[in-house]
Amino acid sequence: MNESEKKEKQEFLIKFSKSSSVSAFRSLCSKILRKSRCAFLDSEYKPVKCGEECNHLKLGKYLARVKSSPSREYMIFECSCGKICLSFPIIQGSSIYGYVLFVHLATKPGKTAVDSARICMDLALKEFQKEQELTKLYETIRPRAIALSTIHTIHRLLSSTLDMDELIERIARLTLQVMRSRHCSIMLLDESKKYLIPKAVINLDKEIPKTDPKYKKIKLGFKLEGRVAKTGKTVLLRNSICVPLVEEDIIGVISAGDKINDAPFDKFELEILITLAEQAVIAIKNAQMYEEQEKMAYASIKTLAALLDSKSPNTFTHSDQFVKMVLAIAEQMKLPREDIVNLHYAALLPDTGKFSIPDEILKKPGSLSSREYAVIKKQHLESLKIIEPLEFLKPAMPIIKHHHEKYDGTGYPDGLKGVQIPVGARVMAVANAFEAMVSARPYKGKKISMPQAMKELEKNKGSQFDPEAVNAFMQVTKKPAFKNILGASS
Amino acid sequence: MKSVKRLLKNGAASKILLFFNENPNCIDTAKGISLWVGGDANSIQKALDQLVKEGMITSHQTTSTTAYAYTNNKQLVKKIEKYIKNM
Repeated sequence: MNESEKKEKQEFLIKFSKSSSVSAFRSLCSKILRKSRCAFLDSEYKPVKCGEECNHLKLGKYLARVKSSPSREYMIFECSCGKICLSFPIIQGSSIYGYVLFVHLATKPGKTAVDSARICMDLALKEFQKEQELTKLYETIRPRAIALSTIHTIHRLLSSTLDMDELIERIARLTLQVMRSRHCSIMLLDESKKYLIPKAVINLDKEIPKTDPKYKKIKLGFKLEGRVAKTGKTVLLRNSICVPLVEEDIIGVISAGDKINDAPFDKFELEILITLAEQAVIAIKNAQMYEEQEKMAYASIKTLAALLDSKSPNTFTHSDQFVKMVLAIAEQMKLPREDIVNLHYAALLPDTGKFSIPDEILKKPGSLSSREYAVIKKQHLESLKIIEPLEFLKPAMPIIKHHHEKYDGTGYPDGLKGVQIPVGARVMAVANAFEAMVSARPYKGKKISMPQAMKELEKNKGSQFDPEAVNAFMQVTKKPAFKNILGASS
Repeated sequence: MKSVKRLLKNGAASKILLFFNENPNCIDTAKGISLWVGGDANSIQKALDQLVKEGMITSHQTTSTTAYAYTNNKQLVKKIEKYIKNM
């Protein structure tokens, strides 16, 4: 019997002697064999500690008897103090794993009692084997189930954003978390597919600015990441782990380094990182597709705006500064990204509603008559039909339609009030009014200075304008980065 | 140090810390964690919130999902391990 077999048998016996099935076996046997005490010996006749200690066993007073006649059958004998003992082997397959001993029996057991005890032992063994199999199954399946659940959670976290920067940062943070590492970087191949561009480099101990050398591009085939990107093969080193991001071709790599407990990376972690990379690729591809769709949508809107502008310059569209101002207010108000995108679309085509309004009304200086105002309201809705077929503009339509509403409900086309007015429309109303006041549009009357325009907005806060949007606008005007926007608008 | 001791006296929090100490690579939702550690989802959620406050558990939030993971703070992990060994 080699060492590993010996160890395996000993471990089996120790576990068996401590198992719940043996407890049931002991209590049954104490009834069958009357007040006997039970102990276990391993295959080398050494006592296995299992709760009920037996001094006789410790002293080895009768071990010699068992040793002298190793048998696959039971044995009844007298110990040195003249009391009756019973032993039988514990057999698994063809080998003897150890012995069970019943010492100090009240009477010599008959064949029926011995057979009953033996049947109990066989049942206990079978029960124990089942327990062992279940434990093994639990120990194998549970970590995999936890890992699977982790991957599912990561999928949920990654699929909830289509913003590339946010996504890459999130992938890096999750990689750090799952790998229990101190460093992580995500690199994507550039268009030439010759260089890896670091998109996120995170170090738990310090923040790494984009100007750090770690953000320098890496030539394919160079450094660990470059080699992985070139060969497409994963690398598992003691303190580094790197896997490629593969869709149809390689699009980049994820790497992690230095575990927080200084332990080496293992195969299980490599397996997890490979699965995480698969999830990351799907999320990155989705974000790239969304970015492309957005670009196409912007291009279509700009083409439409240019067409409208060619009919009557500066009538249907506003300046770039107007668009920037609208977006700045929206960001100041912390509107959700989706709302900001729709607001961006709307800000590129704010006055499509003017398309079929006659020029003499549209460009009339001074106030409008009630008849002219009625024409504007009617034509505003008519004109919006031009952009109705554009599916991607549907979420922006309510903003374009309602940005002439007033907060107190006196605007058009529907006389909506307060929060009934879409938030994007409330934002656009503020920027629109400000731009109209400070710009020199021929039909808008005299332009006024920026401080005067801001006073006007304040004055009409709560009546014409949403107070929150005006407050956000005022905050925006205080930011140095937006001085240029305001300067260009005025 | 005191907070680790105090939290380990809370049944749910101690189960969570034991679980993450055994499975440090795991990231899961409160519902998922309550499944792994056993116990009712509400008390697990409360304990998770408390552990996040104490910095022993990190939360990853998006608009639709909040997931929890073990802290990456080496010193804190060591402290938790020490207390778990003495439990």
